[in-house]
Amino acid sequence: MSENKQYDAAPDFTAVDSSGRQITLSEYKGKKNVLLIFNRGFQ
Amino acid sequence: MAQLRRDIRKFTDRETEVIAVGPENAPQFKTWWDEHEMPFIGIPDPDHIIADRYGQQSKLIKMGRLPASVLVDKYGRIRYSRFGDSMADIPETEEMLAIIDALNKGTAGQG
Repeated sequence: MSENKQYDAAPDFTAVDSSGRQITLSEYKGKKNVLLIFNRGFQ
Repeated sequence: MAQLRRDIRKFTDRETEVIAVGPENAPQFKTWWDEHEMPFIGIPDPDHIIADRYGQQSKLIKMGRLPASVLVDKYGRIRYSRFGDSMADIPETEEMLAIIDALNKGTAGQG
């Protein structure tokens, strides 16, 4: 396995989601994986 | 997005939060999100602050390099990323789930 491989740290961010909740990426650390999807546009 | 919406439980069952980021302003984004009853987190990013932080310069967005998928593990590390030219370039759910399964297995017992 590649246990010694270095991975880039995911840039942290805090933002307000569509329901007004404050979301901070680093708060998932130690708890969950996060799949980020950057979309070109939803409209 | 429809596929993700349908398969969201496969991600939550694997301790994976899905967060979608879009370029609309907050009201436009919320309207779309609520209309489509998306069951995961959606973040409006009209100034591309988050997208830029992930190496997506605005000019690339204009060039149509989105969508992009980035998988972050429980240690806050980027374990997979993919940039595409169309919605079809969002990885199939099964492909992504296989990556997540391998990740979860590989990190079991650590920390």
